[in-house]
Amino acid sequence: MRPGYIWAVIVKEAQDLLANRLLLAAVVFPALVFASIPTGIVAFIEINDLDPNQIGQIEQYISQFPGLSVKRAAQGFIVLNFMAYFLLIPAMVPMAIATQSVIGEKTSRALEPQLATPMEVSELLIGKAIASAIPAILATWGVFLLYGFVNGAITDPDMTSLIFNDVWRVAMLTLVPLICLLSVLLGIIVSSRVNDARTAQQIGGFIVLPVIGVAVAGFFSGQATFSLEQVLIGDLVVAGLIGVSLAIGNWIFDREAILTRLG
Amino acid sequence: MIEAIDLGKRFRSLTAVHDLSFTVGDGEIFGLLGPNGAGKTTSVRMLSGLIAPSAGSARINGMELGPDSQRIRAITGILTEAPGLHDKLTARANLGYYGRLYGLRGAALRRAVDRYLGVVGLADEGDRRVGGFSKGMRQKVAIARALLHEPDVIYLDEPTSGLDPSAAKLVRDFVATLRDAGRSIVVCTHNLDEAERLCDRIGIMRGTLLRVDTPARLRRQNGTASVRVELVGARQPASFIDLLADLPFVAGARVADGALFVEVADPRGDNPELVRALVEAGARIVGVREEAITLEQVYLDLVGEAGERDGGIRGAAREVA
Repeated sequence: MRPGYIWAVIVKEAQDLLANRLLLAAVVFPALVFASIPTGIVAFIEINDLDPNQIGQIEQYISQFPGLSVKRAAQGFIVLNFMAYFLLIPAMVPMAIATQSVIGEKTSRALEPQLATPMEVSELLIGKAIASAIPAILATWGVFLLYGFVNGAITDPDMTSLIFNDVWRVAMLTLVPLICLLSVLLGIIVSSRVNDARTAQQIGGFIVLPVIGVAVAGFFSGQATFSLEQVLIGDLVVAGLIGVSLAIGNWIFDREAILTRLG
Repeated sequence: MIEAIDLGKRFRSLTAVHDLSFTVGDGEIFGLLGPNGAGKTTSVRMLSGLIAPSAGSARINGMELGPDSQRIRAITGILTEAPGLHDKLTARANLGYYGRLYGLRGAALRRAVDRYLGVVGLADEGDRRVGGFSKGMRQKVAIARALLHEPDVIYLDEPTSGLDPSAAKLVRDFVATLRDAGRSIVVCTHNLDEAERLCDRIGIMRGTLLRVDTPARLRRQNGTASVRVELVGARQPASFIDLLADLPFVAGARVADGALFVEVADPRGDNPELVRALVEAGARIVGVREEAITLEQVYLDLVGEAGERDGGIRGAAREVA
């Protein structure tokens, strides 16, 4: 594995992404949408006092925030509960970039000249995987920081501390990159079997279902956010899935298979 | 130098290439001619280390295909059938990327990119995205990409496809300079005129090589040339056929368009004897000339499509026989 080749691929992919405004928007826009919905609710609660009847309905949730006023507790529950959706960004965005990258080069017949160079297939794929994952990781981290500071500004600085808690710091540093990598690998594997990026993304989109499931389950169970144990278990599960995906990817992707199947 | 020995490639039940053997020397341009699906691209992919052969072996500049494939790719330049460029990138960024993949860095990379943008006439267009380029301009960028790292071995698939005549000539002239610089070059083409102009030797293939020779020798189908003899007078040309059949240097003869067509191996040496024999037999000859057989006729005959053309070589050969 030679870093020079991987770096060359990453630089090229970055140039490609920066020149592709639509794809770039697809990286940033979903992250902002996920962040703006709870932020809007928090702002609404800040401006309007809670109805005593509503307080009764959400009592089981706000009881998880002892020491905070009812209003702050409700806002705290909202911001933390919606944070599970931050995991959708690393699940969705890198796959869009990876499938676009592989299938785009397949349809433009740009894979063959790259494979004709001394670069190994693994170097090409690792370069593509990293280049697809980095924008999603940066977008998630960037929006996470924005989310914390904006909600802190709307309410009070303690809200920022609540968002940047230990569990979510660990999740951002471990689970987000791992989900990104899994998403990219699945995107590349699916890309090897289909002929257009949209189909690949639709098939690969199944990866978001478990994440949505976790978020929805969290909401209905009344649990505001994940525990550290849950995040670490998630890390292990995703790492295991990455191992399986790598094995499949390694089996599917040899130079000849790419040339004869991908173009 | 390229040496292919009994190369073969199977894709499941389909045999794309079999028993492919040929050599291309340093400073030689070798043309691969064949219809679609003849195995030209598969052959080039095998020889450039992109796919593994199912049978046979090959050596490129002394390196063995398979164990040395990565090193072979480093000294190989390939112009693929489709340009395969990255549309969102500029021509300069496209070439820069490939230059880095071929190990060029820093000033050497910039010099190579500038040089080859100039060679293909795109020095002023280097900072434009290739997505907005015409087909010809894209082909030029792809040619520059194939040559950027000064490869010893070059494969060019339809190098002048999409180019206007002046640009095509520029490319042909440049390929000729690469030959003069000692590179081994394989050109895959359907353009017989281009093959004839550019190639030192031509291999006509359909799954395997049907024939390999210089363009001039290929035009002499089966090693013979057709000599047209124009006669006047009362005797019909057909009355000389028996006489001609007895001449040892005549491979065949027929009458067409009121003239005799005689197949001989060496027109320059055999024509005087042919004329003498005909004159002694009472022929009144007003003209003798070698009929030019086009490479296209040879090609069509060899790939089995001559039957679709009136007056094709195969039909002529039957008449001679």
